[in-house]
Amino acid sequence: MVSASLRKSITDLSRRRARTGFTVATLALAVASVSFLAIPTLIDRSMQEEVRAGKLADATVTMRPLPLSDEQLGVLEALPNVVAIEPGIRVNARVLVGERRAAALVIGVRDFARQGVDVVRLESGAYPGRGEVLTDVQNANVGVYDGRAGDTARVVGAGGLRIAGEGRNIPGGEEVQNEHLIVLYATADAIAALSGERGYDRLAIRLRDTSRAAETVERVRRYLDTVPGFAGFSRLPEFRAPGDWPGKADTEMFAEFLSVITLLALLSALVLISNTMTTLVAEQTGEIGIMRAVGARRRQIRIVYLRTAVLLGLLGALVGVALGIVLANLLASYFGSMYWAIDVGFDVDSTVLVASVAVGVLAPVLAALPAIRRGVRVDLREALESTGSAVGGQHAGDRLLRRARFLPRTMQIGLRGVGRRRRRNLATALIVALAVANLLAVLSLAAAATENSRTSWSNHLEDLRLWTSGRERFDARALRTIETTAGVARAQPALVSDAELAGEEASVWGVPRQPLFRYRLSDGRWFNAAEERAQERVAVIERNLAQFTGVDLGDRVTLTTVAGPAQFRIIGMATNQQEDGTVLYVPLTTLRSVLDQPTGVSTYWVKTTSPDEALIDRTTTLLDDRLTALGYDVATEISYVMERDEIQENRTLTTTIAVLGFLIVAMSMVGLANAITMSIIERTREIGILRCIGARARDVRRIFETEGVTLALAGWLLGLPLGYALTRMLVWLIWEIAGVRLPVVFPLWNLWIALAGTLALALLVLLLPLRRAVRFRPGDALRYA
Amino acid sequence: MSGSSRRATGAPLIELSGVEKVYRMGKLDYRALRGVDLSIAAGEMVAVVGPSGSGKTTILNLISGIDRPTAGTVTVDEKRLHEMSEEELAVWRGANVGIVFQFFQLLPTLSALENAVLPLDFARRGSKRERFERARHNLQLVGLGDKLDHLPAELSGGEQQRVAIARSLAADPRLIVGDEPTGNLDSVTADEMFELLEQLNREGKTILFVTHDRELAARAQRVVTIRDGVVVAG
Repeated sequence: MVSASLRKSITDLSRRRARTGFTVATLALAVASVSFLAIPTLIDRSMQEEVRAGKLADATVTMRPLPLSDEQLGVLEALPNVVAIEPGIRVNARVLVGERRAAALVIGVRDFARQGVDVVRLESGAYPGRGEVLTDVQNANVGVYDGRAGDTARVVGAGGLRIAGEGRNIPGGEEVQNEHLIVLYATADAIAALSGERGYDRLAIRLRDTSRAAETVERVRRYLDTVPGFAGFSRLPEFRAPGDWPGKADTEMFAEFLSVITLLALLSALVLISNTMTTLVAEQTGEIGIMRAVGARRRQIRIVYLRTAVLLGLLGALVGVALGIVLANLLASYFGSMYWAIDVGFDVDSTVLVASVAVGVLAPVLAALPAIRRGVRVDLREALESTGSAVGGQHAGDRLLRRARFLPRTMQIGLRGVGRRRRRNLATALIVALAVANLLAVLSLAAAATENSRTSWSNHLEDLRLWTSGRERFDARALRTIETTAGVARAQPALVSDAELAGEEASVWGVPRQPLFRYRLSDGRWFNAAEERAQERVAVIERNLAQFTGVDLGDRVTLTTVAGPAQFRIIGMATNQQEDGTVLYVPLTTLRSVLDQPTGVSTYWVKTTSPDEALIDRTTTLLDDRLTALGYDVATEISYVMERDEIQENRTLTTTIAVLGFLIVAMSMVGLANAITMSIIERTREIGILRCIGARARDVRRIFETEGVTLALAGWLLGLPLGYALTRMLVWLIWEIAGVRLPVVFPLWNLWIALAGTLALALLVLLLPLRRAVRFRPGDALRYA
Repeated sequence: MSGSSRRATGAPLIELSGVEKVYRMGKLDYRALRGVDLSIAAGEMVAVVGPSGSGKTTILNLISGIDRPTAGTVTVDEKRLHEMSEEELAVWRGANVGIVFQFFQLLPTLSALENAVLPLDFARRGSKRERFERARHNLQLVGLGDKLDHLPAELSGGEQQRVAIARSLAADPRLIVGDEPTGNLDSVTADEMFELLEQLNREGKTILFVTHDRELAARAQRVVTIRDGVVVAG
């Protein structure tokens, strides 16, 4: 037997099915949004599986191509703490996709059958033999190359290479994803035939104890020092923390942004539930009076409504958790296949599951408390005489609304209706405002990211860059070749090397005093000719890096370079954000001396005779061909293409965030539909009266349309400052989480997009409740209690 | 007691023939009217009486086109209401019937004048100025010329009912129906209200009202008694 008070809690929900449905739907969406937090865990579980299957390296060292015999590799593998060592080589290549030359990376594997680290796993076909390659699954997935097993890869300079099959490799896939390179795998012998590079330029190492990784790598270096031709590591050794995988940090970062969306969704749901409970309690003032009259204590009445809130919560949590599990798995599966070409299996994150249920059940109770408090405190006589919606229109705001006499009467009625349920309508406007704010923030973020990329690339005065990572550095012969190539106006050498500053990854750019690059100083100065000549250890640091590391102008810092530690004096602070703002600019002469490379450079910055894109493309191809013919392993970067790619990538990311942010917009619209439906239900009698005195369907429709649109407009107005605040918060978060400094951009046209979107959606969600409003027969409406 | 002195003239304004009305209440059918035949002449002042649940309000709702009969025909001023659509009925009501409810049913956010002008706005009759002139005139007629801008919440019960009567007069209808029009008023105010209705009747309006008050019913020219959905007298 169910107690009478419990039955009341249940019937309070069942008697207003539409409202209960809306509230449960909103809560379910909010609870489902908590499941976003499970996405990194779901992806991580699959990626850990990938890491195990692919035997991902714990440490990787790179060097100029160095021939190593099986014996020498055996010695390395026998070093303490080493489980396995896999030598490899990477050469740059160009693959013809249609008639277009696309940048490619061919990764050489010593023996496909005996891979111990960074394994290239076969997905289809067979491992490549002589004159064959394997294509990475990510090539087709990312869309850079769709060659399949049996096709022929047309490699510039090497003719056609048969594709023996499809392979999967974590580091290779990362190159496709991050650099948009076509990644192919071949035997090391095939690489030698292709490029003339013999030996290996990297060693991937699996370790027993990763905490001793640096020590083990030092042992490897000491051994390699005994090998003729070894000239030190060309980059700082890469160490993988236990449990880490490529892209994990980005995934976690993305999840942190998603948590902002979750928070906003929860906030919207809380406002809506609070709204619902306020209405529920307010419209039952009479019933509260009756309960009090028949002896109910305040506590007992409170329990009735708290139970209603708990029931709402349970329903919302139930639907939300189910929806969340599906949503999280769908999104994890989408991201898994998009970024790593993996199948993320169906899974449930129990922590997030518990959190979702807790949020689902507790949120409505918390949101209902103020309404219940107000409800039970109402005076008994007043409660029994409760007149419902027959009062109103006497506040200052109402007087203001009454001034809009120029509007048609129906619109006036609708407008004044907004003032009748002040608290609820304010809450509804607030929900819409949160959606508008979210939309504006996402749009602003997209604009900021685009502007950031544009600003960053506008600092590049060069049109293309040439890189070499092969045995041969660019030397005087390379410079002559570049300068005599048709279309080249100017070429400038640069030396780029990775480094570490106070434990943070950094990049050192050795550049001439007047570089083909626009530096923007916020403090201090650029280096002068005397310092350049004297190879002074002075550096201009980018502001972001300075902030991460606590470095200030005038400080002396120790930079860990591939050649060992080196001290620099900070003479300038730049606001540029090259490499996410982690670059130190030093005189080229200085970096040469630090790296002990008196001749040769890794990079040339080239300015063409015209900014015409076709000319830049032609010049790049020409340079590529001429330098490759001379034996240089060349990679090219074209500024306008890089800029375009970066903007496109930003757009993809912000679109993803926007799509997820749409959840909040959906919730706000459910909130608006809820408010209007409630308003219509409450005023059913009023609609009946209007129909009695001659109101036509369109008159009734216009009254409620005006009310809904006014609420949406109020929400839009409230959303503008909120949107600005949220934009600032997200920009701050991006700086805190990702270390990327974005400008606060708040374009005016976004406000109009948000307005158009809000109004269009508002009118759309009003359709159903309005249909209900005009379908009432006056007789039924008048009988409605 | 002069109101009942004027006698009805002319052809029937209202004609109910074999009218039945069944309400579906959950799984049950409730027969509110079981074959009502009723004829009311233009200019009559008719009181409909009967116990609670007898079908009084249902008859009023059918005559004003608020409800539709389940069977039978309802003709008012030669219009066959049972054949009209909801939209046609709304327009017809706005132009031909004035309705006064027990609980006044004014729109709380509109002033007395705006409430009184509303049916004219819906009917889009005349210019804006003419509509307001007409509503102002009606409010003066009911003695509220000095409270045009008051909101319902700022008026007493009697004053609110006067606004409701002024609203019912907006389109100058031939028929005014009242569902317990004085039921929510004290006796003095109720008497004033009734005098107003009598005055309107003297001016040629057909008045039809439902009441529980035997004294008020006695002041009508004709009393129709309903019991269990059937007209038993009048």
